[in-house]
Amino acid sequence: MSGTRAAAARRRKLVVKAVESAILLLALFLILFPIVWMALTAFKRPVDLFDLTVTFTPTLDNFRTIFAAPWNIGAAVWNSTVVAGLTVLISIPCSTLAAYAFSRFEMRFKGALFFTILATQFIPAVVVVLPFYLLFRDLGLLDTHLALVIVNLAIVTPFAVWMLKGFLDAVPTESEEAALVDGATRLRVILDIVVPMVWPGVLVTAVFCFILTWNEFLFALILTRDDAVTLPVGITRFRTERGDLWELIAAAGILISIPMFLLSSVIQRHFVRGMTGGAVK
Amino acid sequence: MQDRRLKYVLILPAALLVLGTTIWPLAVSLVTSFRDWRLTRSLTPGPFIGSEHYVTALTDDPDFLNALQVTASFVAIDVTLTVVCALGLALLLRRAGVLHSLTRAVLILPFAVSPALVGISFRFMFNAEMGVFTWLAGTLVPWLKGYVWLGDPVASLLVLVFSDAWRWVPYMTLVVLGGLSALPREPEEAARIDGASEWQVLRDVTLPALLPVLAVVAILKTVFALKMFDQVVTLTGGGPGQSTTTLAYLVYSIAFRWYDMGYASAVAWILTAMLVFLAVWYMKLILRKPGGA
Repeated sequence: MSGTRAAAARRRKLVVKAVESAILLLALFLILFPIVWMALTAFKRPVDLFDLTVTFTPTLDNFRTIFAAPWNIGAAVWNSTVVAGLTVLISIPCSTLAAYAFSRFEMRFKGALFFTILATQFIPAVVVVLPFYLLFRDLGLLDTHLALVIVNLAIVTPFAVWMLKGFLDAVPTESEEAALVDGATRLRVILDIVVPMVWPGVLVTAVFCFILTWNEFLFALILTRDDAVTLPVGITRFRTERGDLWELIAAAGILISIPMFLLSSVIQRHFVRGMTGGAVK
Repeated sequence: MQDRRLKYVLILPAALLVLGTTIWPLAVSLVTSFRDWRLTRSLTPGPFIGSEHYVTALTDDPDFLNALQVTASFVAIDVTLTVVCALGLALLLRRAGVLHSLTRAVLILPFAVSPALVGISFRFMFNAEMGVFTWLAGTLVPWLKGYVWLGDPVASLLVLVFSDAWRWVPYMTLVVLGGLSALPREPEEAARIDGASEWQVLRDVTLPALLPVLAVVAILKTVFALKMFDQVVTLTGGGPGQSTTTLAYLVYSIAFRWYDMGYASAVAWILTAMLVFLAVWYMKLILRKPGGA
């Protein structure tokens, strides 16, 4: 009697396990398939494009084409790098100082100030971009790197302050206090003691902000035309009046995604924290 | 310099950045939303017209009401799908196993893909003639063969949800996994020893403890679903008709197709008001925890 019950339990366990594996396989398929399909498409000739087999003669022509005239995707790569790089270089130092103040000092209106900075990340980008579009048009700054860097700071800075405060809260304060007692100024302490200790956190935050800016689309769509077009807008240029050049879109898509895959794998453990502001560790 | 003053100096650069890049444009948009300003007629702002734009939007603009409805449907389906899938997947992935660690390893990938590219890729894969997903759906369910997914109002909204969920479910799974790993194991084990079934443990012990994390996931996803814009542009273009024109996309259309800055600002502010409401709720939720501000 107990033998058959044990057998039934074992059988049920097997079924549960099979269902579990099936679900995980489906999840794996759903996650990976679009990426794999894009990667395959990038190496296809236009005639093989809608061939649903994986046996085709791979070609590097698409990558050659997107870097050549008239597409010159290299310019978009440069624009994306410059815009994301400058945004991070401006935002991270400012955010580190502010995060330090929020982490170490008590002050009047601290709660309200911190709250305001963090709440701004919920503002829809489309409401921010309207005044900037009009301003940049008047100043002749449309279609420039500077315009994109300015608006991207709006997205990146609140995240950076939030993330960095989390990292700084976790750094012990003993050595700081010892240095202060020894007569070091607060700024020296920040530069010589705090920054080196929190450096991994600073790097993670910088990478996170770089990814956000690199993938940003709305600002670039509205504020650029030719000279300052970034990669996410650049790929939409392959949808021409003669039709969508999917093989070129895929090649450019691989180009824009691979560096982000690498960067996000490096900071994977902290990625979650970035978006949820330490609500989930 | 004394710490007393220094602390404000330290905050100043970041505060100025936020003030200049977010608070200033918000204020300008708010003022503009009370003015009549069409760029096609005048390059300078027109006269103040009170709350006319808001009244028009809420009572007399079928496009706005349509966008509100589209946004509500999108948010409802998207958030439900994301929370349910992320929770289910996270609960499965908590265990050890080859498939489990493989899945955990790829969870981060979709989130690194630019949303604009996600949209364009899904447009390719749902191409009516030979898109791979169109083909797959047609093979699995014969009456879907050759179905024009992006030509149908309901189906195209679902494809839009699918593309957004593709990017967010794996990420939110990581968030829930983070929450699960922070839970103490003892209560679950105690319940099991007391003879509770796996389902009872899940329902009575794990889920209640996980509720704060699920709230974070739900609110954050709601915010990002309300703001979702990139895939509308690259996947559906707001269509067919206006069936996938969300509020964010409507603001963009009013501002940069019809060049009506006043009305666009008003609609943008209605969207902003909803988001600020959610933001306050969210911040209260997470800042209440120790270690917050």
